[in-house]
Amino acid sequence: MTELADTAPAAGTLGHPSRRSALGELLQYRQLVAVLVVRELKVRYKRSIFGLLWTMLNPLLLMVVYTVVFATIMKSPQRNFAIFLLSGLLPWLFFSIAVLQGLHSIIGNQELIRKVRLPQAVFPLSVVGSNLVNFSLSLAPLLLLMAVVRQPFTAALLFLPVAMLILTVFTSGVTLLFATFTVFFRDVRHLAEVALQMLMYLSPVFYDLQMLGQHDAWWFRAFRLFLKINPLWYLLQLVRDPVYYGQLPPLPVVAVASAAALVALFVGFTVFNRLAPRHIHYL
Amino acid sequence: MTNGEIHIRDAGVSYRLYREKVSTLKEAVVNRFRHLRSSETFWALRHVTLSIDPGESIALVGHNGSGKSTLLKTIAGVLMPSEGEVLVQGRISPMIELGAGFDPELSGRDNIYLNGALLGFSRKQMEGKFDRIVAFSELGDFIDMPIKNYSSGMYARLGFAIAQDVEPDILIVDEVLAVGDERFQEKCKARIRDFRTAGVTFCFVSHNYEAARELCPRSAVLHHGRLAFDGPIDEGWEKYRELERGPGPGPQIEIG
Repeated sequence: MTELADTAPAAGTLGHPSRRSALGELLQYRQLVAVLVVRELKVRYKRSIFGLLWTMLNPLLLMVVYTVVFATIMKSPQRNFAIFLLSGLLPWLFFSIAVLQGLHSIIGNQELIRKVRLPQAVFPLSVVGSNLVNFSLSLAPLLLLMAVVRQPFTAALLFLPVAMLILTVFTSGVTLLFATFTVFFRDVRHLAEVALQMLMYLSPVFYDLQMLGQHDAWWFRAFRLFLKINPLWYLLQLVRDPVYYGQLPPLPVVAVASAAALVALFVGFTVFNRLAPRHIHYL
Repeated sequence: MTNGEIHIRDAGVSYRLYREKVSTLKEAVVNRFRHLRSSETFWALRHVTLSIDPGESIALVGHNGSGKSTLLKTIAGVLMPSEGEVLVQGRISPMIELGAGFDPELSGRDNIYLNGALLGFSRKQMEGKFDRIVAFSELGDFIDMPIKNYSSGMYARLGFAIAQDVEPDILIVDEVLAVGDERFQEKCKARIRDFRTAGVTFCFVSHNYEAARELCPRSAVLHHGRLAFDGPIDEGWEKYRELERGPGPGPQIEIG
């Protein structure tokens, strides 16, 4: 009976809580994150005929709508505007949906948290994971559309996995932070909805700097300044540059995006683990 | 420390009580975040010192709200002690509530893997246990049905079947033996006795004297969050009866 127990991770071993490394414990439970991701996808697409195909159909239908609206009705000057738009919209949707779903994940799993001892970070992280799967799948119809409208494929597309990794690290950090705050203040959820809506328009989703042109008004300078300090400004370029412009993002942009991602993850994880033992009293 | 050892030293668990529990940002701002500091503290458990040796069986006895479940949750690691120290060594099988973590939409099969992962087991390890778990649960072909279609008995059987197969060093059972039909209950008790002879530390909560006496020679009586008695089960039960009759002080809320 003990032989298997030796090989099994000592899930129940707890010394003094502060002496245990939160990261080490989380790594022990990495399989749980995978299982939760699969569960989330299974439950989400259960009984739907197209199942996982919906993750691809969804952006495809979005694309049709945007192509029609911007290319025919609104006559955007940008060439292949649908590709331009989707290269910003898909990573944005990954980020914002993961944050909005993830901030509810501690409250949503409170029954479990009350009864089973586990690193609570697995819940927000599994939400990020399942949205990463969706994001990856949604790239397939994007590539398909690129072929249809004859958008050139370049070697820069090989950068996409790196871009997604950086984006995932950043999203994980932000999601962890919002997840723990939501436990203490339930209105973080509503606040986040509004804030994300505003942030979408203040991030290069529907436009980028070239399209803005030059103005000398103070509000424009303030707007530009905000864009410069908005980490998403750098993060979204990581996807748009290879997909739409067919080139690698400039090194400084990659550097700032990576730094922002690491800082977000470090802060998110640290704050989350500091507050996690108190969650149970507020659930 | 060897596996199966539990040391609790002057441990206390406090809850904060709020008049209105739901806190909004507006209230927090209005109260200047006062609610985040402790305003009223309720000690669900305080000054509890208890040592349990590997292989020992102990029944936790007490009235409703005496702190039994809080103590069990602290041992299981779900709750952190607000003061004092709780040291637990070894793998714990928490049968605090059977089927905690089941997803009703998923099949019994998927739930076995999900529950295994929740207890820290890999998929591969669970594959090795899978057939035994299904056999113990006596669910047969129902294992591939979504468990929302299970009867409550089937649900509990699957829960116990998983919990009994995780090779625990410490087994924590909170009133879960009252599930399933009589035959299955006997099967569960037999399994628990197997664990005990194999040297697994066993913590048991029950309001049923017969069940407690049958399984545990030692008892710890909790009364309003304090350890009122620690010793043989018969004396412990007498003490528990006595405390239940007596008026006793009410729950202690400290304003601070």
